[in-house]
Amino acid sequence: MKQIELFSAMAEMRYFDEACLEGVPTMEIHGELHTGIGQEAISAGFIGNINNADAVVSTHRNHFHALMKGVDPYMLMSEIFEKETGLCNGFGGHMHPFSPQQNFSATGIVGQSLPVALGYAYAFKIKKQNNVAVGITGDGGSNHGTFHETLNIAGAWKLPLLVLVENNGLGISVPISDILPTKTISERSLAYSAFGKQVDGNDPEIVYEAIKEAMGYIRSGKGPAIIEATCNRFRGHYEGDTDHYRSKSEKETILKNDPLLKYSEKLMKSGVCTSEEIENILLKAKNKMFQILENVRKEKMPPPDIALDNVFIEKN
Amino acid sequence: MSDNTAIERNLNGSEAIAEAIYQEMDRDENILLLGEDVGKCGGVFGSSRNCLDKFGKDRVRDMPISEMTFTGMGVGLSMSGFRPIIEIMFADFLGVCLEQIYNAIGKIHYMSGGNVKMPVVIKTAAGNIGSAAQHSQCLWATLAHLPGLKIVAPASLHDHKGLMASSIRSDDPVVVFEHKELLLKRAKSFISNPFVPKNKYTVPIGKAIKLSSGSDITLVTLSYTVELALGAAKELEKEGIGIEVIDLRSIVPLDMETVLESVSKTQRLLVVDEDYLSFGLSGEIITRVLENLGPNSLKQIKRHAVPDVPIPAARSIEEVIMPSQQSIKNLLIEMSKGQ
Repeated sequence: MKQIELFSAMAEMRYFDEACLEGVPTMEIHGELHTGIGQEAISAGFIGNINNADAVVSTHRNHFHALMKGVDPYMLMSEIFEKETGLCNGFGGHMHPFSPQQNFSATGIVGQSLPVALGYAYAFKIKKQNNVAVGITGDGGSNHGTFHETLNIAGAWKLPLLVLVENNGLGISVPISDILPTKTISERSLAYSAFGKQVDGNDPEIVYEAIKEAMGYIRSGKGPAIIEATCNRFRGHYEGDTDHYRSKSEKETILKNDPLLKYSEKLMKSGVCTSEEIENILLKAKNKMFQILENVRKEKMPPPDIALDNVFIEKN
Repeated sequence: MSDNTAIERNLNGSEAIAEAIYQEMDRDENILLLGEDVGKCGGVFGSSRNCLDKFGKDRVRDMPISEMTFTGMGVGLSMSGFRPIIEIMFADFLGVCLEQIYNAIGKIHYMSGGNVKMPVVIKTAAGNIGSAAQHSQCLWATLAHLPGLKIVAPASLHDHKGLMASSIRSDDPVVVFEHKELLLKRAKSFISNPFVPKNKYTVPIGKAIKLSSGSDITLVTLSYTVELALGAAKELEKEGIGIEVIDLRSIVPLDMETVLESVSKTQRLLVVDEDYLSFGLSGEIITRVLENLGPNSLKQIKRHAVPDVPIPAARSIEEVIMPSQQSIKNLLIEMSKGQ
């Protein structure tokens, strides 16, 4: 694990979404946008633990998962900005990026990522390929029936599946603590004969170690794992959400515990980086993502006459 | 290629389908079959018999009662290069897993800008055999309404094998509605083509077939009611009334060319559909005919479908809401008397 690499990855993710936010008031992104700001440490913790042939099936809040999986940020941002140069030529948009080269996809329907990841896991198993399928959900999605069905099958057949629960404590406005009968989500692992662990998702090093352990467990053929990473959603559920269901002080506390800030302090305190080096990393990440933004904005939207394309492959 | 050979084999619909699946799986090792009771049991209607023994558990998998998830697995398997066949035991259960069918399987080719294909077959048993409200529905129009899914419903025994083979070979997602009555019906009692060659063959998806000729009335239908329509048409032939029975075979794509050619001639159209009446296939066919031939092109239009009620249990009340050979015949006679 290279600490500077972790920090740089987090910085790039933060500025990727900051750049995306620029497209909301201008209506360049004319639908929903769900940013992951505040949840960077979780995706950063995958870097070095996941390879190109592994699969990731993500959610409506998918940008950081795509970046950690190696999806080209230019094509991703182009898709988010509805451009023809996007990952899906503008047909998918921010909630539906598909990058078959990286075995990466997402779904806008909460809970529906897990069965798709299970399909990959089954494929890896019968092809005797030593890869892992990562299905990502939030705490909200963990209450969907697919969570049980997917882990039940993965547990019964010892399939190489990692269920990552990004527990930001809120399903839009509903606190997970109001609807959870147990202390953690990860303790459900017992029911599925799976590896399970809850970790502090604000610390990339802790996440990195947990993912490493879980991936090692899965790759050795023992079956599925659940990693529950606790975190905070800095912004509303989507851009435009007034977030009135959280108090001011609650939000202030969350912002004080910004994982990017905390981790930079840790790196400086332990002498890994100077404050100047931290500033440089942040500036480099910012410049990279805002340069992408500038170029993406110049791209064309898809031509209207392709709207009826791609429904079927075989035309009758 | 005589009918004698067909009767000699005397297959039923489920055996014809099982033969298609078996031969296709033998041809292409990327084809997998997932579903409830598809393995040891060979499918509750027998339409995957012999497959587990031949291809093994990895490729023919008995799933837990988790339709939502094993349908979604079809998405991940497709993205991994496989060609999954997902069996949903009864069409009535489609509601449990509809999310993955219409939001993922039907849309991913489009949403990905054409970069990802979903060569998934959803096979399911539809139609009434007396099992009342939750095990008798057709529901093909419900799925046909949603973009990105091809919808196939074979009638003849020949098509049971040929259309299943085409569906498996298609790079597009296909939902195959098998009718329970036809799955159990044997070659010798089929009126439509009962001949099932032993060798592999395909029947193209999207081509309707005219099964009888006549200049009086065009009868458009699909699946089991094709047999009923042919029965009624045969009876009326003796009375000098000529009916053109068209088996649609698929409703997405919908072969309007064949329908329009016939209706242009007869100017009388009856659509028979075992699915619900409103907002469905019959309304769609009639609308497309009028759009194509003009609002005054027809002398008569009638539709005969389940009148927007759940399927009842008792035979006495079931009979009055289901199309039957007699009810179809009565409508045709009534129409033949019209101007």
